[in-house]
Amino acid sequence: MKNVFAIALALTLSPLAALALPNVGDVVGTNAKDATAALEKLGCTISGFENEDGKVEAKCTDASTGKLVEVRIDPKTGAVASLKSGD
Amino acid sequence: MARAAAVAQATPPTLWDPLVRISHWGIAFVVIANGVFTNGGSATHVWIGWVGMALLLMRLVWGVIGRREARFSAFPPNPVAAVRHLADLLTGRPRDYASHNPAGAMMVYALWASLALVIGTGLVMTGGISPMKLSEQEATLNEGDWSTLAPAGTEAENGEQGEGGGSWVKEVHSVAANLMLVLAVLHVAGVVVESRAMRRNLVAPMIAGSRNRPGS
Repeated sequence: MKNVFAIALALTLSPLAALALPNVGDVVGTNAKDATAALEKLGCTISGFENEDGKVEAKCTDASTGKLVEVRIDPKTGAVASLKSGD
Repeated sequence: MARAAAVAQATPPTLWDPLVRISHWGIAFVVIANGVFTNGGSATHVWIGWVGMALLLMRLVWGVIGRREARFSAFPPNPVAAVRHLADLLTGRPRDYASHNPAGAMMVYALWASLALVIGTGLVMTGGISPMKLSEQEATLNEGDWSTLAPAGTEAENGEQGEGGGSWVKEVHSVAANLMLVLAVLHVAGVVVESRAMRRNLVAPMIAGSRNRPGS
């Protein structure tokens, strides 16, 4: 009974877990409008973009934790290249 | 003997020359604006940083070819004299100098060194690109197609450049910028203390005043 409850809870919460943050490889777009929309769908509130070392760095606030995460995006492909805790 | 005569005749400037005043207040603006108000990495931040670089270079050249009281030779870095001057401040009225007093001189050099470090690391972080180019990039970031921002060359060629080295450069930039703000606060405190001890407004000659020295 306990196990059934745990599985039910996990299944209920799994869509929220999927929304936590973007993953490396997710294609979010190659312009600010598309990337902002895609990242917000993935649980990021975007406060701006910067050009860092040949990558676009999106300043993302994790909607679930409120923490700042820097999402580095390949400007050619629009794919997420890496994630880093904000400073 | 000649040195004693020079000391006896030393009178502080009643008005610093225009270039010293412009570089002083310009650098003050740059330090406060970029240290407190602008976003690091933004085109505005870099524009202001380049203004700071121009002002610093101008002042350093003026330190060689400028008016006598503005030259480095008029305020050489001398930590021992600086400590002696601070001790004199505590015990009574310190003597006058024809340029910055030794403690002020040490502060000037510390501020310039920190500013040079901040500018140097800033240039490394931005790859030395001009603020005009950065403004264009910022416009592209916010409204354009990012693929035009991709560096030339393959991923392997571009590799991890800047990723590892960039983080410590960023750290040095940040620490030096904070150090500069601390030095600026100490500088203002020093000016207040010195003005009270000397019963003379040290700020006035940096804003307006007469070019005539007292007694001349």
